Amino acid sequence: MARKTHDVLSVDWVRLELLRTAYSTRGGLFARMDPRMVLAWYVLLALAPWFTHNLTVLLMLFGLGVASVALARVGPLVLGLFVIGLGADVVGLFLASFLFGGNLDTLVALAELNLKLGAVSMASMAAFVSLDPEKLSDALLALRAPELLAFGVSYGYRMLPILVDEYVTVFEGQRLRHAPPPHRGILGWRVILQWCTLAVTAFYPIMLNTAKNVRTTVEALETRGFTYGAANTSGRTLRLAYLRVTALDVAVLAASALTVIGAYWVGGQYPLHR
Amino acid sequence: MTTQNSPRTTDDQRRGTLRGTVDGLRRVDLTTSQKLMIFVLSMSLFGLSNIILEIIPDPSIGPVDVSVSYMVFVPLVMAALFSPLWAALGAPLGEIVFTDLLMGDFSGLAEVEGYLQMFLAVYIAGSLIRNPRSRVQIVIGALVVVLVDKVLSAVVDLSKVWIGVEDAEFVEGLPESVLALEIIGLGVDVLMSGILLGAIPALWLIPALHGKIEPLMGMRPRVPGEPIPGRAPRTPLFVGFALLLAIASFGFAFLEAFDLNAGEWEPDFLDRFGSWFIVVSVVAIALVLLVALILFRLSRTAADTELHEAEVREDVARAEADRADSGRAEADRADSGRAEADRAESPYTRQQR
Repeated sequence: MARKTHDVLSVDWVRLELLRTAYSTRGGLFARMDPRMVLAWYVLLALAPWFTHNLTVLLMLFGLGVASVALARVGPLVLGLFVIGLGADVVGLFLASFLFGGNLDTLVALAELNLKLGAVSMASMAAFVSLDPEKLSDALLALRAPELLAFGVSYGYRMLPILVDEYVTVFEGQRLRHAPPPHRGILGWRVILQWCTLAVTAFYPIMLNTAKNVRTTVEALETRGFTYGAANTSGRTLRLAYLRVTALDVAVLAASALTVIGAYWVGGQYPLHR
Repeated sequence: MTTQNSPRTTDDQRRGTLRGTVDGLRRVDLTTSQKLMIFVLSMSLFGLSNIILEIIPDPSIGPVDVSVSYMVFVPLVMAALFSPLWAALGAPLGEIVFTDLLMGDFSGLAEVEGYLQMFLAVYIAGSLIRNPRSRVQIVIGALVVVLVDKVLSAVVDLSKVWIGVEDAEFVEGLPESVLALEIIGLGVDVLMSGILLGAIPALWLIPALHGKIEPLMGMRPRVPGEPIPGRAPRTPLFVGFALLLAIASFGFAFLEAFDLNAGEWEPDFLDRFGSWFIVVSVVAIALVLLVALILFRLSRTAADTELHEAEVREDVARAEADRADSGRAEADRADSGRAEADRAESPYTRQQR
């Protein structure tokens, strides 16, 4: 699926959004589960919608997605963004097809794709909002993903809000110290040009700062034996010893698998194709 | 803004190809923690730049998208100043982790396709910049990043239409119009991402940061002429690796297109091949990736052993020269002692690689 961009209002808004996503462990069902099982659950729900074109099945899977988002207590901002994105997609495509002589069939055709995408993105929202970075990286490590990937994920989640904050500070500082362009030019192109130049030049101090921060982080990690510890089996088991599959995990996974199978069964009984 | 720019030395001091130790103490090869640093730095900065781009709305004129797809200069700076391999491994991961996972945009297979293409682009472009002070090489590097990445995806798009996985959105029955649109899109990308946010900022940033950012990371600035740590080996094996990686990324793209549009396809295609087609293609992609990895390992070790053999040859020659005239014993003993240290050190560093 082509990437959708969320054109949002300001850097600050993005930062807040990220902080909430990265740290909003509001409890919820999946936050209490074993992270490996959450990943397995995500894979199950992300793959299930792709093997059918039956609207009944897709509707049921969409319902399962809604239920899991509710259980995971996804924050209102992320959810709002998703709903607006999906709604705008449907309305926009429908209007476009209507203008070019489509009819209600077009809407049904669009429904299939949007149901699929919606089910998958709700599963990913539920899973990734509930996993805090530490748990996610440990789960990846437990699943034998490369250590660098596991580390990158957890580092990214932790550092990104700080990085964005730092960037905004530098950018605003530079803007304060620059006089606005004397003439705005046609459509204010001089203002836009200055804005773009500042956005790029702000990278100079940011690169130097980040280099310093990264060195501190990596040296602290290496002192604790990050690279060799991750490769060492006994170190690995020690680090991952706290991961435990409980009855709750098995129950949730089994319930989801049963629902998926049930959806396919019901779909087989009452097929609804476009 | 350009006051931070360090004065450009008109004549680059070339030290010639150095082998083994750089100045008697340090090796050209990166240590493990340095590799990790470059990886993390490239990941976080490219992720940051992507987040900033998310804020800017994407305008489009008709079917042509006039937006900036990424800030090419960020991974280019990392690849040019540090190590192409580790910068290229980190940058696309930053995009996935920072923007896609965190913003809830994760799109499965398309991410893998994007990762492979971006990795190839940055790796090849970074290896082309042998002298971080050379303006020509920087411009070439910026253009190569965009060209490799975008040409690969344009080929994917074109062949999708050609094979018929995806309907041509525009004038029906006219593959030429699709070709024209792809070429226009490529031109816009080269102009916007490659030049405006690629070559021009890189021309200022790379010389400005050269010599300043490396000490912060505990590294020695790169000197033109000496071997670049982690550059793409110039061997036929590497070309094979690049081709296979491109093919694998095509595979991911097709699998994805197949998933989305299987409904339209289903009658003739699935009847002919059955749904095992998907499984077979997944296995094929996995195989291609595996072979690509093996080729990559082989090409790297070939380059390394070449370097190592040259090193040993040099050491032997030096030792023989030592033996020949024992007059300058003082200086030479220190020298051969260094050679000994080299030889003792090499298995360790090779193991690290």
